[in-house]
Amino acid sequence: MKKKRTRELLLLWCFLAPSLLIFLLYRIIPLLWNGLLSFQFWSPYKPAEFAGLYHYQEMLFYDDAFWRVLWNTIVMMGSAPLGIALALGVAVLVNLEIRGRNVYRTIMFMSYPVMTVAVGIIWQWLYNEKVGLLNYILLSLGLIRRGIPFLQSFDLALPCVILASIWQVIGFYMIILLAGLQTIPSELYESAEIDGAGAWKRFCAITLPLLRPAIFLCFVIGIINSFTSFDLVFVMTQGGPAHATDLLITYIYTVAFKLSKFDYAAALTVVNFVFFLGLALLANRLSGGEAGAVETGK
Amino acid sequence: MTRHKKIIWAVCAVLVAGLCLSTTAAEAQKKLTVLTWNIPYFEDGFKKWVTDFNKKHPDITIERLDKKGTEYATFYQTQVVAGTAPDIIDVQGALWLEYAAKGGLVDLTDYLKRDQDYTQRIYPEILKGWVYSGRNYGVPMYISKTLLFYNKLLFKEAGLTDPPKSFDQLLEYARKMSKGEKSGLITLNFDWLYWPLLAMNGVELLTPDYKKAAFNTPKAVQVVEALAKATQEGAINKISWTTRWVEPNSAFGSGTVGMLHAHAPAFLWFKGNAPWVNENTVGAAHLPGGWSTPNSHSWLISKGTKLPDAAWDFVKIASSGEGAYALGTGTNNLTGDRIANEQLMEHFRKNIPAVVPVLKTQLEHLDKLCGNWAVAKDAEIKETFYPELQSALLGQKSAKAALEDAERKVNRVLQQR
Repeated sequence: MKKKRTRELLLLWCFLAPSLLIFLLYRIIPLLWNGLLSFQFWSPYKPAEFAGLYHYQEMLFYDDAFWRVLWNTIVMMGSAPLGIALALGVAVLVNLEIRGRNVYRTIMFMSYPVMTVAVGIIWQWLYNEKVGLLNYILLSLGLIRRGIPFLQSFDLALPCVILASIWQVIGFYMIILLAGLQTIPSELYESAEIDGAGAWKRFCAITLPLLRPAIFLCFVIGIINSFTSFDLVFVMTQGGPAHATDLLITYIYTVAFKLSKFDYAAALTVVNFVFFLGLALLANRLSGGEAGAVETGK
Repeated sequence: MTRHKKIIWAVCAVLVAGLCLSTTAAEAQKKLTVLTWNIPYFEDGFKKWVTDFNKKHPDITIERLDKKGTEYATFYQTQVVAGTAPDIIDVQGALWLEYAAKGGLVDLTDYLKRDQDYTQRIYPEILKGWVYSGRNYGVPMYISKTLLFYNKLLFKEAGLTDPPKSFDQLLEYARKMSKGEKSGLITLNFDWLYWPLLAMNGVELLTPDYKKAAFNTPKAVQVVEALAKATQEGAINKISWTTRWVEPNSAFGSGTVGMLHAHAPAFLWFKGNAPWVNENTVGAAHLPGGWSTPNSHSWLISKGTKLPDAAWDFVKIASSGEGAYALGTGTNNLTGDRIANEQLMEHFRKNIPAVVPVLKTQLEHLDKLCGNWAVAKDAEIKETFYPELQSALLGQKSAKAALEDAERKVNRVLQQR
């Protein structure tokens, strides 16, 4: 019996080994190396020297751009609920018994498979001050007298990037939420209606609670997207004007590859990692502390 | 020994033998890797370089890599970290300074002193663009600097004839042409390409010893205020300060911009996208005072190369004589070789006459180059200074406050280790 158990365990580890090895090589070792690098003066051309907390001190007390990009990342992350709320509205609409609803669903989903670079370019032209469609419409309606430089504005650039990001992902959220909506038994709505509950009450008391897992999934995806919206920012604004749209991830890239400060970029990456880890733990707690757990048979 | 173990031993032996043999074969094969910057279409000329190189070094093979500008630095630096840096690299602008300052490049000074027949062919004013701490780390591959393109149709519409002769006139002309969707002026902003606008007003970035910021002067405040005002009015298109290359050149190509301050390679790019562009519709001139920022490409040799002498031979072939001519005709640029350029101008007169006035500007006013300081922290200073300037130009801060903040930050960068 014991021998059989050992063989089973060995087999289990054999199956796990390739994945664990890849995880070790591409996640754990780079993570440790990155942590080490953040306490060194290092460049590809010179031997490393111990730097202590120099880079962290630089980041926290002297680098204005760091605080700006951290704030931008939080704002970008905070925009996830807005996208989910919009997607929920759309999902509810296309879930109604209306003619051609499959066409509407397809149209809404179409933005998601578009390459992010293409999304960036499309929105960049839409926002253009001189020849952009948005300004053309606003000018034609007489709402403005001069074109608005959306992406050149310190106040509007980040919301504009966020809007483009929401536009891209809204179809995906919609599909997840729509799938969730379709799992809610219609009997619940019928009973509530008989009991005299109005549409809003039914939405709040039945739809929202039962959609919680789907909303939570969208939220997690939204948070991850906000951390990794590198391509959209890079194409639309390159982080500008003056870091107004820079996120931690784009700033790390700039510091490492434009300024060749790999050691400082490593310190920024540690902060990014810790921030992300904190959010993951929070998300896990909010989901009941069992996110990612797999129930095994006895 | 069981049969099972024998098989394992045999497999191990075969693997070890294979590894040894492949290592020996790799050692026997001499190879130079050449990394070029976004010229994948340049194939025939490259083959010619390799053929000429192999006449002298038949035992060395050449491997070619080409990367787009956006991925170039990332790729090269990763290769350096991995210990597999390409031997010979084609680098744009001032990116080389960082590599040279950190000891990542071969010092070419002695080669240039030794091979006078080669050195004499190269423009000395251009060659000194790759000097850091008194040592020369690069030679010109193809040359480019900024100039002023102007839309003759919009000039005529605004009652203008000749290009502007002063900074004030530049802004005045821009205002005259700006109306509705039309704007008067666009400039490229990356790699200090906007600096001639400040240099023509006597603004210096750093003190002569490169130890302190020198730009925070009343005159600089006045210039930035004037540029910001023109930007707010729409005379200078705002994308001048926020986008890199494609958008400003596309805007000029769309025929809605009066003047474009850009480097020479922009011409054939926007001409290719705008059928209306020809000698009669677009003019090429110097900015007032003849100021310009160089943005040439250079050949450099990575410190890690095992064959520096052979790499130098390749660089000489590619940057002079027939090799330079092949590059010029293949990419429609002028090179650092004076003699090759005479032949190239002849070639362009016959084949692409529209580009001749543009290329002529590239060989003039070589004493008025600016924005090319040999400072190791060039990239960092640029990334520190520009956001502050941007804030002023786009109306987020006053010029005075922006320049004060920029001065404080640039001085800190200069003091950092």
